[in-house]
Amino acid sequence: MEPLAPHEKIFVDSDILDDENHGEIACIDCHGGNPDDPDWKTAHKGVVKDPTYPDATDACGDCHDEISENYTKSLHIGLRPFRVKIKRRANTNAAILNKLECAMNNHCYECHSSCGQCHISRPNSVEGGFLDGHLFQKRPPMREVCTACHGSRIDREYFGESEGLLPSIHKEKYMKCEKCHTGEEMHGDGKDYADRYEVENGPKCVNCHKEIYDREAKNVITHRIHKERASCHVCHAQPYNNCSACHVGKDKNGLTYYKTKASWFDFKIGLNPLRSEKRPEEFVTLRHAPVNWETFDYYVEDGLSNYNASPTWKLATPHNIRRKTPQNSTCNACHGNEFLFLLEKDIEDNEKEANKVVIVQPDLIPRKQKWQPK
Amino acid sequence: MKCVKLIGLTIAFCLVFIPGNPYIGKASEDSQCFKCHTSAKKLIQITREIAKIRPAVKSIEIEGEG
Repeated sequence: MEPLAPHEKIFVDSDILDDENHGEIACIDCHGGNPDDPDWKTAHKGVVKDPTYPDATDACGDCHDEISENYTKSLHIGLRPFRVKIKRRANTNAAILNKLECAMNNHCYECHSSCGQCHISRPNSVEGGFLDGHLFQKRPPMREVCTACHGSRIDREYFGESEGLLPSIHKEKYMKCEKCHTGEEMHGDGKDYADRYEVENGPKCVNCHKEIYDREAKNVITHRIHKERASCHVCHAQPYNNCSACHVGKDKNGLTYYKTKASWFDFKIGLNPLRSEKRPEEFVTLRHAPVNWETFDYYVEDGLSNYNASPTWKLATPHNIRRKTPQNSTCNACHGNEFLFLLEKDIEDNEKEANKVVIVQPDLIPRKQKWQPK
Repeated sequence: MKCVKLIGLTIAFCLVFIPGNPYIGKASEDSQCFKCHTSAKKLIQITREIAKIRPAVKSIEIEGEG
C-alpha cells in the first residue's frame, strides 16, 4: 500500500464538526498543545500524536468504557502471544533476558494497534496518516487498516495476489474482515490470552456454515467423516505464504530494521500443536513463522537457546478458502499424498527437534481409499 | 411550589429558545489547530519545512516482508 503524502496524513476534514459525538470534543482535549498559538512549532509543544496508546482511558473511556477497560488485554494492544512465544524459546539467564526484552521493545512491540490506529488513522507501523480526514470510522477499512499490517500473509491470500492462486471465496462474496472478526473479538474480552487461537469469541467456520453436518446437507458424509480429524482449512485452503529467518537490528543511524529471507507459498498438513476441546482436529494446516536461532543476535548471542521448546511450523488458518481445492477434488487427492504433509524431510536440520510435535510420520498419513462418497 | 415551577419554566425556555448546546462546537473552527489542519495549502508548506529538518525515520536496511 502506497503511503500518503505528508500533508494528506494530517489533513482534517471540516465535516468532523458535524459528527454529533466526536465533533463536540476540542482538539486540545485529546491531543494537548496550544490551540491559540498561530506558530505551528510552539503550538505543537506537548502534542500527543496518538492519545489512545498506550492507554485509551482518557481519550475514549468516558463514552466507550467497556472497550477501554479491556483495551490493554486486546491482542492488538497487549501482544501477549509475541511475548509468550519468544520467552518460551528464550535463554533463562536474567541478563540475556533483559537484552531480549530490549530487542523486543524495539521491534516486536512496535507492531501494535490502538483505538486511533484503527478508527482514525492507518496504523503507525505502515506510516500512519488519517483514513478520511480524521473522521471517525466505525468500521476500519480493511485495506488501509487490517491488511495494511496483515499484509504478507492475509492480504496476499485473501485477495488472491499470488500467481496461480484464487482469492478467497469470501472475498468474492464481498465479505470484509469484520464479517468474521467482530468488534468484540478485536476489542478483547478482558482475558489476557497467550495465543490468538484461544480467543473465545474468535471466528469459527461453523458459525455461518451451521448446516454442513445435517443429514440433508451436501457432502454431509465427507464432513462427518473428517469432523475432528481435519480442520476446515486442510480441505478448503489453497497454498499460503510462509516466512522464515527474521533478523532484527539497528543501522548506523540507530534506526531499527528487520531482514527476512524470501517467503514462499506452500501447503502443508501437520499434526495439530494446539489440540484441545475447542480444536480437536488431529490434522491442521501449518505455516512456518518468521523466526530462527539468530533472530536477536544483533542484541545478544544465544538469546533463543531454548529454540526447540516451540514449533516453528505453527497452526495456520489461511485466508484463501475455496469450496473446491486440488486436495479435496477426490479422496485420494489427499489420502496417501505425501506431498501435502509436513514430513521430517521438509524440515531444516536445526529445526527438526522444535517441530517433532507437528511432523507427520509416514504411517500417520491417511491411506488411499477405494471408496469415495458421492 | 411557585419557585419550582419558575425554575422548571426557565430551564424549558432555555432548552427551547437558546440556539445550540453550550457544549457543542468545542472543536471550534476558530482554533488554530482547525484552521491549519483543514487547509491543504498550509499543510503542504509546513510538511515541506518539516521534511527539511527531520531526519529519516525508516531504515534503508529493511529487507523482505514484515
